[in-house]
Amino acid sequence: MSVRHVLTTCPYCGTGCNFFLQVVDGRLTSVVPCKTDEISLGRLCIKGYNAHAFVQHADRLMHPMIREGGQLRNASWDQALDKIVRKLKAIKEKHGPDSIAMLASAKCTNEENYLFQKLARAVIGTNNVDHCARLCHASTVTGLLHSFGSGAMTNTIPEFDNADCIFVTGSNTLEAHPIIGSRMLRAKEKGAKIIVVDPRDTPLSRISHLYLSQRPGTDIAWINGMVKVIIDEGLVNEGFVKTRTTAFEELKEAVKDYTPEKVERTTGIPKEKLIEAARIYAKADKAMLAYAMGITQHSNGTDIVKGLANLAMVAGHIGKESTGVNPLRGQCNVQGACDSGGLPNLYPGYQRVDDEAVRAKFEKAWGVSLPAKPGLTLTSAINEAASGRLKAMVIFGENVMISDPDLNHVEEAVKKLEFLVVSDIFLTETAQLADVVLPAACYAEKDGTFTNTDRAIRVLRKAVDAPGEARADWVIACDLGRKFGSNGFGFSSPAKIMAEMTTVTPIFGGISYEKIDSKVVRWPCPAKDHPGTRILHTQKFTRGLGLFAPVQHAPPAEVVSEEYPFILTTGRNLFQYHTGTMTRRSPKLEREAPEPYVEINRGDAKRLGIGDGERVMVSSRRGSITLKARVTERIIPGTVFIPFHYAEAAANRLTNAALDPISKIPEFKVCAAKVAKA
Amino acid sequence: MNDLGKKLARLAFEERGADFLLAMREEHGNVAPAMVSKGEDVGDVRLEVPYQLVTILENIYPWISKGKIAIITRRCDEKALAELAKRKYVDDKRIIKIGLACTEEQIERCRCEDPVPSHVDVGEPHAAVKGDELSARLAKMSQEDRLAFWVGQYKKCNKCFGCTLTCPVCFCDDDCVLEERTFVAEPSIPPGLSFHMVRSYHMIDKCIECGECERACPAEIPLLTMRKLLAKDMKEVFKFAPGDEKTVSPLNTTLEGELMGDECDEC
Amino acid sequence: MAEFNPTILAFCCNWCSYAGADLAGVGRLQMPPNIHVIRVMCSASVKPEYVLKAISGGVDGVLVLGCHIGDCHYMTGNHRTAKRMPLVQKVLKEVGIDERRLRLDWVSASEGEKFQKVVTEFVGEIKNLGPNPMREVKW
Repeated sequence: MSVRHVLTTCPYCGTGCNFFLQVVDGRLTSVVPCKTDEISLGRLCIKGYNAHAFVQHADRLMHPMIREGGQLRNASWDQALDKIVRKLKAIKEKHGPDSIAMLASAKCTNEENYLFQKLARAVIGTNNVDHCARLCHASTVTGLLHSFGSGAMTNTIPEFDNADCIFVTGSNTLEAHPIIGSRMLRAKEKGAKIIVVDPRDTPLSRISHLYLSQRPGTDIAWINGMVKVIIDEGLVNEGFVKTRTTAFEELKEAVKDYTPEKVERTTGIPKEKLIEAARIYAKADKAMLAYAMGITQHSNGTDIVKGLANLAMVAGHIGKESTGVNPLRGQCNVQGACDSGGLPNLYPGYQRVDDEAVRAKFEKAWGVSLPAKPGLTLTSAINEAASGRLKAMVIFGENVMISDPDLNHVEEAVKKLEFLVVSDIFLTETAQLADVVLPAACYAEKDGTFTNTDRAIRVLRKAVDAPGEARADWVIACDLGRKFGSNGFGFSSPAKIMAEMTTVTPIFGGISYEKIDSKVVRWPCPAKDHPGTRILHTQKFTRGLGLFAPVQHAPPAEVVSEEYPFILTTGRNLFQYHTGTMTRRSPKLEREAPEPYVEINRGDAKRLGIGDGERVMVSSRRGSITLKARVTERIIPGTVFIPFHYAEAAANRLTNAALDPISKIPEFKVCAAKVAKA
Repeated sequence: MNDLGKKLARLAFEERGADFLLAMREEHGNVAPAMVSKGEDVGDVRLEVPYQLVTILENIYPWISKGKIAIITRRCDEKALAELAKRKYVDDKRIIKIGLACTEEQIERCRCEDPVPSHVDVGEPHAAVKGDELSARLAKMSQEDRLAFWVGQYKKCNKCFGCTLTCPVCFCDDDCVLEERTFVAEPSIPPGLSFHMVRSYHMIDKCIECGECERACPAEIPLLTMRKLLAKDMKEVFKFAPGDEKTVSPLNTTLEGELMGDECDEC
Repeated sequence: MAEFNPTILAFCCNWCSYAGADLAGVGRLQMPPNIHVIRVMCSASVKPEYVLKAISGGVDGVLVLGCHIGDCHYMTGNHRTAKRMPLVQKVLKEVGIDERRLRLDWVSASEGEKFQKVVTEFVGEIKNLGPNPMREVKW
């Protein structure tokens, strides 16, 4: 009889809490919080407490499957892998390596993502590798890369405790990042002022000191408005601006017309509140900006992020304790998937594929010549698939059929592919369309590392065996690499993969499994004796001087009309996670929020004759879904909210795939819809 | 194995005939709960991090079909085990208690009025604390202020269920009433006062004031204070305090003190 | 100031207090109209959760009426109720809600007048206490 408590990292959000998986004779029985973990402090949210529930579920994929005669049939690993190699080689031969795209996974480990992008680049010969960061924080990567030279959270989660002002926008922190939200509550108990800017009334806005509600799609207006107030009232941190930044004059010019009155007309935020928010933020000693999808998922997301960077720089709240610009990353390893090179234009460590010197380094390290042209983003790949130019996709752990925008278009695109391979833990809506399905191990069944939102490299430790014939994705990637004839995939363990990663990725230079086994290390950690870096940009920005960006308000791609009079915004709830593949199979989570719903303002509902709990149809130019109405005063009139977790009423049937031109992130947060009784 | 580990191994396996030891030790730079079998290296034991070992025992007990289990018990843990034993959730003949006396900081943090286990095997016993400062403050408040205080606290609740999951005397795993829409109606968060009042009522004849709920709460709601207030009321109304294997909860007896039959098994 | 019209739930057990309430009705005994009677088989089937949910949701007062001790159709059902309700009152008190908003009493099938008396008293008491403060709380 063996009872083990295995210390590992949560597979849900980007907070990266550590806890113990309790295993009795190979059975997962419970989750026990880790009281000495610096991120979670021995606490968890409801998803964390139920992180074991889906692992040994009966629906787990256990055998590889190949589609024959229209049906998926069980096959052996060799049959499945051989088919993949055969088909991809043929397609590459006929249409070129760029006719194939690979999706890495924000749910897979750093080591696995490193192998995925190595497979795409060094074996298939394409830079077409991307992952779901494209859908969430792509704007952060492009925006902050422009303003600071580094696209990551500048400070750390424990620092929230000691801030005296926490400015949160576009983040329903208590529902999407509960343990980070709880840090904000701790700060509040100590007297910190929490300011929230969000079109929806959320658990955090209800306990905030100041709550500003804006029309969706008007963020640059209020951000510029705040910058102007700070400039006009002499609250600019002159010293910081002078010595650490450049292009301040362009910023001043850009914001000069964003008076509080004009901002009120554009955004709906009362001017006194805007002015007060600006004053509190600028005058605070230690002010932290936290943000998420509400800022990034727009057709001008990159600009909005640059706007936030402007705000932080103008007030000098960067590079010190409990300050900074803090994007709250969604997936357990979306930060890591980016860091490990799962991006079409960047190698591991954010080194550019179109930089000759960098490419030469990787060519030398991997012993092959590498493609120079940046590849397709996930969103572009779907378009290319729809047009028939993209012939094949290999998808690791992503359910595009529910998570991407404009699902009818996605379905068309995916069905048009000549060849689709999906590796996942459940037979998702996407896997159901695949030609080859590979059963993968989940987080509890392998070793590896995840990088959380504050750049800490968190450890995964294997607790139980994978079911049936399921294999860890790193094993699958190595098998594929070897079958393709490459000799760059002879890894016997994730530790060995990390060892190779550290040789080509300066930010991971000093990482080793021994070091991170007992210490929290945040990148950059460039050398063996380096303890890791808590706060970024302390002396200078990664790019040298912080760059102010003269961004301007622009309306969303799709605005309301007579036929589609509501703004539809989408997002998450606390109990479910993303496309629900894991949470809907966890009884206690599913029980709390089992049904899809649309939040509609009380006044709007009354006008339309819709009662609470009644079935309604919500439609956009792209599709329709039917679901229950939840009548509430917690959303501004004229806007409706649908969580995207429910496959039976997938919010993404309605969303608009309008992309930010630089980051290619879709505008999940704003599109036009109509609501009618069903 | 550090000295503490060696001591516990000797006590549990050699002197008291245990087959397993449930304790806490260093692992990967953290402190972890650990179930050690006889003969295994106990490791570097650390006892100052307050894991609720009785809850862990309760979770794994159904799978330990035989053998004696030694467990580190503070005074509150002894009481928790008594509550579990009297409801037949554990067979107390198979449990070997290794008494741990809490440190002064621990006693202060729990505002503990009964900190010394019946038999001290590890640690130095210290005096109880006089009472809970927050309870005293609440007692002096007007009813409106008290309600405003608790509503303000409970509004931070994020329904993590940490309080119920880590509680050693909360044992309704699959049919927890707090998950029933009939009782806790709100489909969103915070869950409303009924969640907290229902929990308070359920705990009133079981809570042994270990404080784990308060430590597990991400919103840092002073849950232990509410438990202490109700424990006082329970003593006043029924002269009953949980934690003694020989006493039966007044909720299970008639007005004459006779055990009620099996009409209803819920309490 | 508009007069406060409280909303009050009265859980009445089938065998005694509900019959007593019926008797009061048949005898046309005058009673304030604020009571919503909910018939249950035994006062012991009034789970404390229902009472707490009602008060948390803004109900101004809850009456639980059972058989006299010794007369319970199910022998000791009312003993259970007698033990539970005082503790529910303490839960209310500690959180800051007046415990007088919950009242437990015994009414037999023949006590139509007692029913009238208890109801009238209780409504009067709740009117004095004012509306349940939980009505104003926005979660």
